[in-house]
Amino acid sequence: MSRPDVDAILSAFDAALAEASTPDDVQEVRRLHTGKKSAVKAALKGLRDVPPDERPQVAQAINEARRVMEERVATALTEAQAAALAAELDAEWQDLTLPGVSATRGARHPVTLVERQCMEVLRRLGFTLVDGPEVEDPFYNFDALNIPEHHPARDMQDTFWLPNNLLLRSHTTTVQARVLERSSELPIRIASSGRVYRNEAVDATHLAMFHQLEGLWIDRGLTFAHLKGVLAFIARELYGKDRRIRFKPKFYPYTEPSIGVDLACVHCDGAGCEACHQAGWVTILGAGMVHPKVFTQFGFDPSEVSGIAFGLGTTRMAAQWAGVTKVNTIYEPDLRVVRRLHRGAK
Amino acid sequence: MKIGADVLRRYIQLPETLPELRDLLDDVGVEVKRVEPSDYGPILSVELLANRGDHYCYEGIAREIAGRTGDGVILPPVASVETGESPYSVEIQTELCSLFSFTMLERTSEQSLSRDEALPLQCAGLGSVLPAVDATNLASIELGQPTHAFDADKLKGPVRVRLSRAGESAWPLFTEGPVPIEEGLMVIADDEKILAIAGVIGCEESKTTEETTRILLEAAAFDPVAVRKASRKMGIHTDASARFERGSDFSRVLVGAGRVVHLLERAGWERRGPTGMFGDWNDPNRIIALDVVAAAAFLEHPLTEAEARDRLVRYGFAVSPAWPDWQTSEGWAAPPSATKTSKDRLRHTLLVRVPPARLWDVEFQADLVEDLAKSIGYNDSPTRLPPVEMGEVPSHREAVRARAEEVLLGNGFYEVITNGFHGRDLRDKLEVHPGHSLYEHVETANALERAYSLLKNSPVGQAVEAVAANQRRQQQEVRAYEWTRVFLPDADARNGLCRERHVLWAIASGHDADPTWAKSRRPADAHFFAGLVAELGAELKLPLTLSTTSVDAQFDGLLHPGRRADIVLDRRVVGAIGEIHPGVRKRFKLGKTRPVYLEIDEDALQHAPEDVPYVEPSVHHDIVRNLAFTLPSGVFSDEVGAVLAGSAPSWFQGATVVDLYAHTEAGVAVQTLTYELRFAPGPDGRTAEEVNATCEHLVRVVGQRLGDRGVQLRG
Repeated sequence: MSRPDVDAILSAFDAALAEASTPDDVQEVRRLHTGKKSAVKAALKGLRDVPPDERPQVAQAINEARRVMEERVATALTEAQAAALAAELDAEWQDLTLPGVSATRGARHPVTLVERQCMEVLRRLGFTLVDGPEVEDPFYNFDALNIPEHHPARDMQDTFWLPNNLLLRSHTTTVQARVLERSSELPIRIASSGRVYRNEAVDATHLAMFHQLEGLWIDRGLTFAHLKGVLAFIARELYGKDRRIRFKPKFYPYTEPSIGVDLACVHCDGAGCEACHQAGWVTILGAGMVHPKVFTQFGFDPSEVSGIAFGLGTTRMAAQWAGVTKVNTIYEPDLRVVRRLHRGAK
Repeated sequence: MKIGADVLRRYIQLPETLPELRDLLDDVGVEVKRVEPSDYGPILSVELLANRGDHYCYEGIAREIAGRTGDGVILPPVASVETGESPYSVEIQTELCSLFSFTMLERTSEQSLSRDEALPLQCAGLGSVLPAVDATNLASIELGQPTHAFDADKLKGPVRVRLSRAGESAWPLFTEGPVPIEEGLMVIADDEKILAIAGVIGCEESKTTEETTRILLEAAAFDPVAVRKASRKMGIHTDASARFERGSDFSRVLVGAGRVVHLLERAGWERRGPTGMFGDWNDPNRIIALDVVAAAAFLEHPLTEAEARDRLVRYGFAVSPAWPDWQTSEGWAAPPSATKTSKDRLRHTLLVRVPPARLWDVEFQADLVEDLAKSIGYNDSPTRLPPVEMGEVPSHREAVRARAEEVLLGNGFYEVITNGFHGRDLRDKLEVHPGHSLYEHVETANALERAYSLLKNSPVGQAVEAVAANQRRQQQEVRAYEWTRVFLPDADARNGLCRERHVLWAIASGHDADPTWAKSRRPADAHFFAGLVAELGAELKLPLTLSTTSVDAQFDGLLHPGRRADIVLDRRVVGAIGEIHPGVRKRFKLGKTRPVYLEIDEDALQHAPEDVPYVEPSVHHDIVRNLAFTLPSGVFSDEVGAVLAGSAPSWFQGATVVDLYAHTEAGVAVQTLTYELRFAPGPDGRTAEEVNATCEHLVRVVGQRLGDRGVQLRG
């Protein structure tokens, strides 16, 4: 009667395991050397042929061999899996420095972005956006706004005239006039934005069409301090709380008092530099308290109500924000320009 | 206007440093645009408020500063001018001239103005001409009263201030020769010639020269609108016209003349007789009631009657308390607005008399309050937000725009902004002829440039031009959109001229996506835009469909007749998509580029969104079958789709085209479309036989309905 040669079984197992390089190879070694038809199983089955007094020792030796084999298989399997994963990962390497391939998103126009940002700020104050016609009656463009015929202010806004004594609006203030005409309930808080037209020869800084945004707030008890408060709020929300602003007297026919808001030059913070023509300041807002004549024109009693009106040159703001010095660039249909305005030169 | 900082110091105390001076001027509304060093000290280029004619001189600027600082204004010496028998015969024949004075001066020796006296001229960039001319220029720059010196020996007969007559001509200074002058402009003339365009410019034939020994010095007050009209009609803008147009100080006519006389008397000229004064003007004594309590509340500044009075006096206003008696020792009468106020209010009411120089811009209490605000300082008064109860949200229109934009932006479109007008050349290029619905445009009446001639009635031309412009710059890939408005001539419109239609348009050329190193792209064609319409419909929850049954005539000749479709919403045509017509492509020199265009009415997009109810998906998989039909040219996929949908049982879920194979059969171009048909599985399952029988039925019906047009099942 022969005893099983546990050492030989173990040696054969080790030799086979040494050859196994993949997880599948290791699993195959496990199947061949520890499975149902393996030498170690056969050895266990042969225990009945071992003398009873030796049987415990032999069984222990076989079980120990099997435990060692299982342990080595487990270790080998882990290593093989790790090696396989490493090889797979190696094989799946990608150069992620290549440009991305997702669909490229377009962009809104800089003027639209400015308008939307302005409206975000104004909505916080309760303003709503209203629209008006671009083909206008001179009454809404001039007369209702205290700009009678032959007033010098009409020179400031060289006008495109149309048949039927109509014109292309030269400012969005026309919408304010129309709102005042149809509204009587207070408060009125509206903003209007859009294209306006000036009959000018186009060059780098002059445009025959550009964009404005205006606001109008009518209520009882609005004061000069409120006007300044609204303007300061707008300026700081749009340009940042740390930017210095200042107020200065201006003249607009439809407001009294009229006021301008200057922002410290972004380059020199008010000291004066080439970018701001040594002024140190850049005007960003024109505004004022609604003129008594405008109120009476539309049936409001100026001793009962007061109003805040302001206007922003959204085209100029867009050019400033985009860093464009020639403002006509903003309206170029050249998509290289449009992309660069949005994405830079890359 | 250019002013010398050192000259201004003669009039009023100023800050020591230039930055402080600049801040002060900006603070009072005399905006400094530029500072330049010069031999005469710093020269400031200032921008003046358009309504303040009185600012157009050193005295005016100094008074504005005085209003802020409270310092006194020092004026240059002025000769006392006595009026009497005129040295020359004058007739005022128009009411547009309120005052006219003539002073005769004769040269007795040859002297120039001193350097100090001439300094304001140098600062203003005006060279020294002759003492007589320099002195008149100085009076205008210093005190704001334009004057003019005529060579007395060149005048023939009485001088008349009148309106120009038909057929007259004048020879303004600094022009080559006589020019026709429109009828009805205010002029100063003698028996033979026009001597000056009143308030604007003198004329060559009566000008002062080195040979001149006797001058007639004119100082006058003219109607601002008349001067303005003449200046515009003649195309001549001078310092004098700028001053008169904004309203001059009628009370200072003789002061201006007195300054010239003073300067000339120091330069070797002597007066000959008294000054002749013509016309009639009286200070209207405009009194405005100022409610100090209301002004204080408005400015949120603790303003007292005394402070208000002090500040207004600095600007030249005369101020009197309204209480206890309306009638002051000077005989002031209360304005109507004040008489309505209560006695209590009257204690806080001031009667403010407007100085003549400010009659043009001070009419209401608000005007006085503006001066008070300036005096306090715009940056020194309180600043605070009014109470705000609640913010607002974007309107439906704004929200719809933003959501529609998401579709376009996601597909790589960039927003552009085009002009509201274009030239006739664009219409010609589109070959839109009389009879075409887009031929009529609203025309501008006075456009400076031809490119502004027509208000656009369609965005197509500018959209194609955008593609062409990009192509000229080697930019083939174009995906652009715009929210715009077009102007449609319509005599029945509210304004009797045109309607304004809000439109969203988009154009694409090249591909449907930007190039990448890996991704395959499709051409940007009409199918791409059909997809955009579907996506817009899905995003906005609008049942937008495409139809080829009734095409919108406005796109005839603009879009390819075989590659266009209308966009339909609720059986109404609201837009179109299509490839740009080959003829248009050729005229815009687009070569092989085939742009595709979309236009949709913005108001249609504002339509109330359709309710899209949620339907729980089945726990069972849909049953799917594919059917391929061959369609000859001219038969549309949606026609087959409509037959399938209309003939299928209720458990039919829908048919989608999942493949297109364009080929020829017997030499004829056809397309084979594979439809994926989906059937609901039903609660108890549905047999394959049942589904197959349904498909066979559908094939038969398609054959019956469309077989005669060549549609057949692809084997």
